[in-house]
Parts: sequence; C-alpha cells; structure tokens
Amino acid sequence: MRDALPIAGTTLFRSYLRRLGRDHRRDLVVIVLLHGAAAGAGLVVPWLVGDLVEAATEGSGGYGTIDRLALFVAVCLVAQTVLTRYARLRSSVFGETVLARLREDFVDEALTLPIGVVESAGTGDLLTRTSRDVDTLGWSVRFAVPETVVALVTAVCTLVAALLVGGWVALPLVLGVPVLWVATRWYLKRARDGYIREHASYSRINATLAETVEGARTVEALGLGEQRRARIDEDIAESFAAESYTRNLRTVFFPAVEMGYVVPIVATLLLGGVLLDRGTISLAELTAAVLYVRFLIDPVDRILNWMDSLQVGATSLARLLGVAEVPDDRTPTGRTPEGEDIELDDVRFSYVAGREVLHGVDLELAAGERLAVVGPSGAGKSTIGRLIAGIQGPTEGAVTVGGVGVTELELDDLRRRVALLTQEHHVFVGTLRDNLQLALDEPGTADDDRLWAALDAVDAREWVEHLPHGLDTPVGSGGHRLTDAQAQHLALARVVLTDPHTLVLDEATSLIDPRAARALERSLSAVLEGRTVVAIAHRLYTAHDADRVAVVEDGEISELGSHDELVERGGSYAALWKSWQS
Amino acid sequence: MKNLPLADPGTPDIRSATRYMAWIMREQGWTLVGAIGFGIAWMVAQASVPAVIGAAIDAVVDQGAGRALVLWSALLLVIGAVQAFSGIMRHRYAVQMWLDSAYRTVQLVSTHTGRLGSELNRRVAHGEVVSVGATDIANLGNFVDVMGRFIGAIVAYLVVAAILLRSSLTLGLVVLVGVPLLMAVTGPLLRRLNRRNQQARALQGQLNTLASDIVAGLRVLRGIGGEAMFDRRYRAASQDVRRAGVRVARVQSVLDAFQVLLPGAFVVLVVWLGARFAANGQISAGDLVAFYGYATFLMLPLRTFTEAANKLIRGHVSARHVVRILRIQPSVSDPADPVSPPDGDLVDARSGFVARKGVLTAIVSDDPRDAVALADRLGGYVEPGGDVDAVSYGGVPLGGVAREELRRRIVVNDTGSALFSGSLRSALDARGTASTEEIDRAVTTASADDIVDGLTEGLDAEIAERGRSLSGGQRQRIVLARALLTDADVLVLVEPTSAVDSHTEARVATRLRRHRAGRTTVVVSSSPLVLDVADEVAFLSDGRVVATGDHHQLMTTDPAYRQVVTREEAEDVA
Repeated sequence: MRDALPIAGTTLFRSYLRRLGRDHRRDLVVIVLLHGAAAGAGLVVPWLVGDLVEAATEGSGGYGTIDRLALFVAVCLVAQTVLTRYARLRSSVFGETVLARLREDFVDEALTLPIGVVESAGTGDLLTRTSRDVDTLGWSVRFAVPETVVALVTAVCTLVAALLVGGWVALPLVLGVPVLWVATRWYLKRARDGYIREHASYSRINATLAETVEGARTVEALGLGEQRRARIDEDIAESFAAESYTRNLRTVFFPAVEMGYVVPIVATLLLGGVLLDRGTISLAELTAAVLYVRFLIDPVDRILNWMDSLQVGATSLARLLGVAEVPDDRTPTGRTPEGEDIELDDVRFSYVAGREVLHGVDLELAAGERLAVVGPSGAGKSTIGRLIAGIQGPTEGAVTVGGVGVTELELDDLRRRVALLTQEHHVFVGTLRDNLQLALDEPGTADDDRLWAALDAVDAREWVEHLPHGLDTPVGSGGHRLTDAQAQHLALARVVLTDPHTLVLDEATSLIDPRAARALERSLSAVLEGRTVVAIAHRLYTAHDADRVAVVEDGEISELGSHDELVERGGSYAALWKSWQS
Repeated sequence: MKNLPLADPGTPDIRSATRYMAWIMREQGWTLVGAIGFGIAWMVAQASVPAVIGAAIDAVVDQGAGRALVLWSALLLVIGAVQAFSGIMRHRYAVQMWLDSAYRTVQLVSTHTGRLGSELNRRVAHGEVVSVGATDIANLGNFVDVMGRFIGAIVAYLVVAAILLRSSLTLGLVVLVGVPLLMAVTGPLLRRLNRRNQQARALQGQLNTLASDIVAGLRVLRGIGGEAMFDRRYRAASQDVRRAGVRVARVQSVLDAFQVLLPGAFVVLVVWLGARFAANGQISAGDLVAFYGYATFLMLPLRTFTEAANKLIRGHVSARHVVRILRIQPSVSDPADPVSPPDGDLVDARSGFVARKGVLTAIVSDDPRDAVALADRLGGYVEPGGDVDAVSYGGVPLGGVAREELRRRIVVNDTGSALFSGSLRSALDARGTASTEEIDRAVTTASADDIVDGLTEGLDAEIAERGRSLSGGQRQRIVLARALLTDADVLVLVEPTSAVDSHTEARVATRLRRHRAGRTTVVVSSSPLVLDVADEVAFLSDGRVVATGDHHQLMTTDPAYRQVVTREEAEDVA
C-alpha cells in the first residue's frame, strides 16, 4: 500500500490561519464591513415591509404612505445590490490572492520534499493536492467564508428584530434549537473523516489515471486495458463507498434540520394565534413575528450548509499544509565546505526501515579523481551515487563534501558543488531556454551567448539550431519531442551552466543507443574535464580508464583500487573482467 | 440505487459536447426521473408554505384561535415533513447522478487512453488528460446534479404564477413576464462569464500541467538543481491564474449583485402592488402576507436558474474537453474485413527485413533510430500518414489485421515500457492468464529471481507507482519477464538488457533463446552477448537491410557491422 503524505494537524492548521489573518488584516476588515453593510441594507427591507402591511391594512393614508415606503424599500435594495457587488469583488480578489499564495507555498514545500517520501506516497497524491484540493479550497475561500460571515450577520440581526417584535417569540425559536444542535453536532463529528476519505479516494483515481496516461503505449502494446480498467474500477468502488457514507450522514442530517426549521414557524403561528385571540398582541405583530421567524431560516440554513463546505475546504487546506509536515531530510547548518574532497564514513542506508541496502561503506575521493563504481545490479551502486549527490542522507554514518555533511548544505548550494546525472531524464514543459536555465539561480542571468556556449560544449548547437524556434521551441509534454540523446544533451548543458566540481554519473548513457552514446560521450568528456567524477557503470569499459575502481557487492565495497591493481589481486573484479573480455 | 462503478460505462455520444451531456443525462434513466420528481415535490412544498401561512392568519382573523388555526398549523407541519423527505430523496438521487456521470467519464477516458496507447502522447499533453480527473468530472457532476432542482424550480415557478394569477391578474402577469425578462438581462453577462471562465480554465490547465511536471521531474530536479527556477515559473503561472480569476470575479460579482437585485425587485413590486390591493380591500391581510412569502420564495427558483446556467456553462466547457480527448481516433483503424493471418514470416518491405517464423532474429543498425522505427513498424505502430501495410505477417499486410488481434499476436516491448503500481504478480502477468509456474519460468529467463526473492511478500508484494521502488536494471528485467509472459506469436524486444550488467545480460540472452525456442522473436540490440545467441542477425544501414547472417559471420565478413558492434564496447563511459 502506498503511504499517503501527511495531513496537517490542528496546531499547524490554526497557526497558518492566524498568520494569514495577520498578513491580510486590512483586506479582511474591509470585506467584513462591506458584507455587513450589504446585509444591513437587506435587513431593512422586511422591516419596511412590516410597515407596508400595516399601512395597507389600516387603509387610512391612501396610497401615499404605501408608495413612499415602497420607494424606500427600492432604494435599500439598490444599496444592497451595489454593496454586494463590491463585497463580492473584494472577497474574490482577496480569495484569488490567498489561493495563489497557498498553492505557491504548497509547491514551495513540494519542491523540497524528500524524494523517498514522494516515491512512496505516489505522485497522484501530490497531483490531487495541487489541483483538486486547491480548487476545493478556492471554493471555500471565495464563497464559503464570506457567505458564512454574511449569514451570521444576517441571522443575528434577524434574531434581534424578531425579539423586538415581542419577547414571546423566543419560546417558539428555542423549540427549534435542540434538534438543530444535536443534528449538527452528530453530523459534523462524523463528516470530517468521511470527507477526508472521500478526498483520498479521488487522489487514488487521479494517480491511476495519471499512470495509465503516462504508460499509454505500454497499455496498448500489452493489452493491459482490462487490467487498468479493473484498477480504476477498484478506485471508483472505494470512492463510491466513501461517497455513500457521507450521503448517508446527510440523509440523517438534512431532514432533521429541515424539521428544526418548520417547528418554530408552526409554534409561532399557534402561540401567536392564541395571544392574538386573547388580545395580547396585534395582527401586525403576529405577521411580523411569523415573517421574521421564516426569515431566520435562510441565514441559519446557509450557515449550516456552509459549515459543510468550510469543513471540506478545511480538509483541503489541511492536505495542502500537510506537505509541510514531512520532516525535512536536510538541515542546513550554514557551514561552508573547505575544499572539494568527498568522504563517506561508515555509511549505512535503508529505504525501508529494517532492510539495509548499504552495510557500512567507507570511501574517500580526492578532488579531480575519477572513480568507477561497478558491480552486479541491485548491489547498491545507485544508492551510493544518490548519497554522494545528497539526494538522500545516510541512515547511519556520514557523507561529507569539504568536511560538511551533504544534507547540511542548502540544496541549491549543494547542486553547485555536486550534481547527479542519471539515465532517467525529464524534459520539462516550457521552452528549451527554460529547460537550460532551470539550474541557474536567476533566470535572467544567462544571456543567450552563455546558453549557446554551454550547448557548444556538449555538441548540441547543431540540433538546437535546427529546431523550429531555436532556444524558444516549446518542449516537454505536448511540445516538440526530443530524443533521449537530445534530452541527455540538455542535462549535460545544464551541468556546464551550473559548473559543479563533482559529478555523479549513474549509467547516464546506458539507455541511449550506441551511436548517439558515442557522440554524447565526446560531449561528456568535455564536461568531465577538471571535475571529480563518480561513474556508476554496469559495463566494465569505464572501469578500465578510471583512476580507481570500487567494486560494490551486497551493499559493501568489496574491492577498491586501480584497474591494474584489482586485476592483479585476482578477486571478483578480476573474474568479472575476465568473463567480460571473453 | 445502483452500485458504482458500472460494469460497462456505455458508448458515449461524442459528436459534440452538448450531445455528450445529453447522453449522460439519458443514461441516468429512472434516477433522473426520481431526482426530477422529488425536485418538483420539494420545490412545490416550499412554494405552498406562504399560502398555508396566509390561510392560517386569515383563519385567526376570522375565527380566532380555534380548530381552523390548529388544522392549518398541522398542515404546515405536514408540508414541512414532505419538504424534508422529498428534499433528501432528491439529494440522494442527485448525488447518485453526480457520481454516475463523474465515474462514467473517468472510466471512458481511462479506457480510451489505453485504447489510444502510443497515439495519445503525441496528440495531447498529459496534464490535460489528468485534469479530467482533477476538475472536469466535478463540473460534469455538478451539471447533472442541478438538473433535478432546475426542473423543480420551473414547475414551482409556474405553480406560484398560477396562484398569483388566480388572486390577481396583474400580479400574476408581473411574475410570469418579469422572471423570464429579467433572466434574459443576465444572458450577455453569462456569455462574458463563459468566455472568461474558459480563459481561466485554460490557464488552470496549464498550471496543472506544470504541477504534474514538477512531480514527474522531481527526481531529475534533485540531481541537477533547479528547484528555485521551477518555483519561479510556477509562481508566474500561478499569478496568471490569479489574474484570470480576478477577471472572472469582475463579471461574477456583477452577476451575484443581480441575484440580489432581481428577486429583490420582485419583493418590492409584488408587495407594493399587493399593499395597494390590500388597502382598497381587493385582497385580505393573509393574502398580502402570502404574496410577500411568494415573492421571497421566488428567489429560490431564480437562484436555481442562474446556478443551473452557471453549471451548464462549466459543464459544457468540461464536456468539450472530455469529448476532445474521446474523439482522438487512432490513425490506423480496424479494417472492414479483418483477416486473421497464419503464423508466418514477418516481412518489412521498406527495409527489406524478414523475421522468419520460429527464429530468433537480431537487428543491428548503424543508426539506432532506424532500428527503433523498424521495431515500431513491425508492431504496426505508424506515425500518422505512415504506411502500415509496409509490413506483412504470414502474408497478410498489418493494415488488414484487427488491432486487437495484432496487439495480441505481435508484442513490441520498447525502451519506454512502463510499469504500473499494483502487485508484482499483476505487473508480470499482463493478461491475467499465467500460472505461477509460467510466471516463475519467465522470471527465471529474465534473471529476475533475485528481485522476487528480495521482496518479503514475493509475487504479492506491491510495487510503487511507475515501478519506482525498483532500480533501472530491476525494472528492465521485470518488463522483460512481463513481455515473455504475453506468449505472443511474435515478440519484438528493443534493447531488453541495456540496463543490466554484462554477467546478467549473457545469462538472459541464453535463457531467452531457450524460452522462445520455436517462436518468432526479434531483438534490437548491439550487444555482442545478445547478438551471439541470435539465429540470424540483420544489419541495417540507412534504414535498409544490407547484410544478414549470424553474428560471427558478419563480424568477419562485414567491416561496417564490426565497426558498429565493437564501437559500442569502446565508448560506453558510464
């Protein structure tokens, strides 16, 4: 099972909201005031309507009073309309601003997530959070929050107005409270977990869909359609179960609440009728009381309804903020490395607790040295490469560059010192220029000359010049398709641009066809010049030319020395070399 | 109510977005009828409340707090109960439709994606398909959901109009004519909203593509740096989305204000006229209260109308998006009269390549792109406009073979082969038909025993999304085992062992030959270890077969071949 990414707890959640409130206090005040004014203008209307009814039943003032009152109502309505417009606009603008900030903060966090966590959680989870959760939250921020505020203001005002008609109105109103109270509490207690499960189920659907899309050719080639379909049906079944649960919650909650609204009206009517019969209240008072009690339903219902959305929004927010709760696997200490030497000291590592893949690796690399790492697949070669490049920290022991732990350095800082190049490559959506500049501190800093120089260095000028729009050609998913070799050229050009002193090559050319690989190798040698190189290889040609060779077997360095030394020693390297040569 | 997902999502009408939406509605069948029926009951119950309250007040005025008041109050309670019941039933049906249409769309897009296969990635960006799951299904669901209430609102509106007409012709006409008139006013506004929403939607889609890019490229980013740059790009795009959102808000806020103004104008108009009628005794005090009640009640159907319009627009945008994906047709379609070719030689006229039946043939090319293109052709994967009939199998041009049969009988395992999350067994046994012995045999051939043994749960172990819990070499061996398990008549393997060490490669090559003995197998490779076991090697130069023979033969007789094969050995740096 995939381990989902964490969801923010209450403390983090509240402190984030507080910070948001502090940062946008002025906006919030203006928005609340605007909405309050709009609600106020709206509330004047029923009060005036009460007067209208009275004027009409008295029938004494002719049409004059009626017309004047109606005009007044119309003016209030126009005021409410205008105020509503600006209140909505202000809150939308505010909502968009907050949303942008939220998703940007979120991506900020996502970008620094430890790779291991992303890999085990699955990318669909992250994907759903960036799209669906951001959208859901957007709905909450844009509508639920302001609507709740408006409804609260309206409800309080209406309640006051109703009680002003007569203290007796409180009695029928109180009759509705127990039902509403119990039903709402019952519902909200269960709803949160229900909606969290619901959201998670959509993450799974997305992850499965994303996988199918990316592996579409394989699905077609192997006739995996049925299997993928079964998989998505499984995800849908889980989603349906989650949805059915919350639907059942609502099936209890909604009718209970509706009865909670009817009871006070009926009670007002009965009680008011009796009081009117006894001459305690007037017809106008009975009318106003019934109207106000009915009028109360709308804001109260809106509050209860929005509580749902608020909760859903809060769940999304918790999922977005949760990403920040993943413990950082890097702890920048501000120490600056001295020199370029790299050292591994009794390094142990396990991807999954209890299953160690490296069992105590010691290695020292002098600046400018070329080390080849060989050994059978799965022995831990790539893991060593990842640790040297600081992609992950060791579980035990230390990996240092210039005496400073690789995970003690800021990622950007580390990248300028150590870079990792693997057979996996990814062309990012954007222009070729974007793809080259990715690794730079500031996007504007590299002028075209510098980019071309880097492309020259890796022999890529020719094909880039032949692209439809040169550096501005859109590439990546949906854009111009680059070959594996071209993608790898880009990666190399980026290395030239960032200029790290140490380069880890993890079978960087192994997936590229031989002819392209040969050309790439020429480019590569230009890039390798003057750098410390750790070349991880499954073929032995590399080892022959390296300064030293490390043989990795079963998570340990079993042999370390120059090619000739190792051949002479007659150990497992010598055996491998012999078998390869035959 | 039906359990979802449906076993069969049906055949959608994809002639246009509107037809797709209509199709979804039709598919709802009785659920839609239920949603509409309860929607009407719910709305009408609400609409009748003012009349009952009015009658109760009149009863008090006429007869005091007697039996009539109690009866009217009891009726009010009953109506309340009817409203509560029909409201929740409507909701239950509406949710069912929401889910049905959302899940159905996911199923359709997912299945279509699998059917399009290689075509998909060429025709549409990943983020765009993924955003179907992220946003489009919600928009479609919301559209279907609102329909029950929308029709209920129309009926309730007519009922209220009828009541008003009976009480007063003027008031009735005001409502009957006024509502559609004022709705029409919002029309142009809605169109503008639609346009701006589309722009915002497009930008949001780009932002989603960017986000999926982050995730896909995160590992690469970590190796070379660039998080900061990526962050800046995301921020820039996110700010574009924000600005587009503000543009939407400018129109939306006017629309919202109209939602206050329009029903409000009704309250004013109806109550003003009503008060005048009450003043001259045309109607009773109870009627006036009822009219006020109707006027405020009409906000609900009015709000539902605008809500429905809004959701229709969003739903339409999403439907267009879904239809665009579903309409992508494979450039090669099934022949009218498919022929089932006999197992025989696989012949490519363009390059002159022949894979003889039952033989292990290797392809070496001076330009590896030619070999990959040939492998694609052999499987009937052609670029749009390409000639699928260039290749024939058992004497039948591939264009004459049904796609499904072609994919079943000729399997091309290219270097981009993907692994999917799920149990290792399901990852290996693509067709779900293999026995454990067969799986074991394929795993052994691919020299992947150590991978299975290394997992505590063996074949039942879950592998992570895209097989990321495995190393490159491990993934390649699992993919190879999977290809072998398809037991295809013709198996085309492109560089099947490029990421494994020499030792393992040699082992795999020998076992592969034994595993596929008597079956037609084509391997694109330039590794001497693989070429050595091939029965026949075809050497491609400039995309044409220039020499054939066994590896040793070609090594001695063809200098160009020797150069290509040995070159590799001299140059692999990393």
